[in-house]
Amino acid sequence: MDFQVRKDGESIELLLSGRLEFTDHDRLHDVIELLETRGVRRFIIDAKDLTFIDSAGIGMLLILQDETEQRNIKMIVRKLHGDVKRSIDLARIGEIITIEE
Amino acid sequence: MAISLAASRVLIVDDNEFNRKSLALMIRRAGLTQIDFAENGEDGLRKVDSFRPDLVLLDVSMPVMDGLEMCRRLRERLTHEELPILFQTALDSDEEQVRCFAAGGSDFISKPIKPGECVARVRHQLEKRKLFTDLANFRGRVERELKHAKAMQLSLLPEPKQLEAIASRYELVLDAHFETSSELGGDFWNVYPLDSHRVAFLLVDFAGHGITAAINTFRLHTLIDRFPMQHVPPSEWLAGLNLALKDVLPTGQFATAFFGILDLHTDTLTYASAGAPNPVVGIAGELRLLDSAGLVLGASRRAVYADRSLRLPRGGCLFLYSDALIECSGPGPDNGPIGQDGVPGLLRGAMAANRARPLGPLLERFYARTSLPLRDDLTAVWIARRA
Repeated sequence: MDFQVRKDGESIELLLSGRLEFTDHDRLHDVIELLETRGVRRFIIDAKDLTFIDSAGIGMLLILQDETEQRNIKMIVRKLHGDVKRSIDLARIGEIITIEE
Repeated sequence: MAISLAASRVLIVDDNEFNRKSLALMIRRAGLTQIDFAENGEDGLRKVDSFRPDLVLLDVSMPVMDGLEMCRRLRERLTHEELPILFQTALDSDEEQVRCFAAGGSDFISKPIKPGECVARVRHQLEKRKLFTDLANFRGRVERELKHAKAMQLSLLPEPKQLEAIASRYELVLDAHFETSSELGGDFWNVYPLDSHRVAFLLVDFAGHGITAAINTFRLHTLIDRFPMQHVPPSEWLAGLNLALKDVLPTGQFATAFFGILDLHTDTLTYASAGAPNPVVGIAGELRLLDSAGLVLGASRRAVYADRSLRLPRGGCLFLYSDALIECSGPGPDNGPIGQDGVPGLLRGAMAANRARPLGPLLERFYARTSLPLRDDLTAVWIARRA
């Protein structure tokens, strides 16, 4: 997995690309650090370029949801498609995380 | 890292008595007291076996067998692959030094031997050896422990005899495959006789794999006994399990699960699913994927599960599996993951090879296109009602 970050006032946008999987767990720490940015209210995960997610990857989304909730930051996952969308729908992660088309 | 050299054993191999004595004197001053001697390579090989040195100080030119040959022979033996061998070379030439390394030498000291350099190099090699031995011991211990843990994990699964008995009691054909991607894994499955005409099947896959996921399968095993299956619909049973797992699992850890009850009197399979990969059901030769969407276990206390029912008459079959089957891939563009939609086709091909027990041919086809070791744990369960 690779990611780019866009900061815009109260929003942080995380653009994920490639595969989000077990081996990416060590990078999660870097992403969580972003949430420490002062004044952040919204955390947007753009999954347009994400091609695959496994169960460990879904676990990372759940951890991010928890971390944002603790900081009163609204997390939104956007532009899910293909196999990634299918995996997330199967696991009904939309019941826990806000997903936008 | 400074280690005590007193416990280390050094073998000095040199045909010149004066050299042997002066080398011994130098290293004795550095605290090395366990020293033995040999006069040529052949003698040296024997002493390696009887004296069991931690390091060999080896001369190059000797009668009977020279140092290079002795070193080569030692390196051919697995047990001496890592034994530090320090050559003493008379010629300070590049070519000679290259020959020492090519023969398997760890390092060399040029003659005339300087005491300070000699002791420093001996110490360096012995410290390296100690680190290596410590690491090898650690590795050995972890391997032994993992082996025991693996046996414990396998004991959570139904034994072949038990499977056979259940299959015959309910007139089923049952076949299962369980494989972890490392020593331990996060998959779990079992079959539970409920009464004279009902039998339940459970397949659970914890996110991730390895030790953490395996610990969760042990947690699960303890929890399952707390929730009787006899008198609740599958959805309710999964909901109970979800709450219990939510209490023990840290955020980010969860499990997918399929739990189904087959009723032989009504020919009905009733199941609830928590995001398990779509099972395949086969009725009258037609295979299709079952809906198995549902919030994963252990992620939310508010999770609600649905019961789904379908007819599974005699001759019908059900194929359950963990996501490794559809996510693992092999080398090259033609060996991409099978994917969810590829499973019925894979099963159809396997059933053409062995209609009653397609699991063997199915796995053969899977492994033919998949790189090993697997990236995730694989469980596959074939359940068929006899015609």
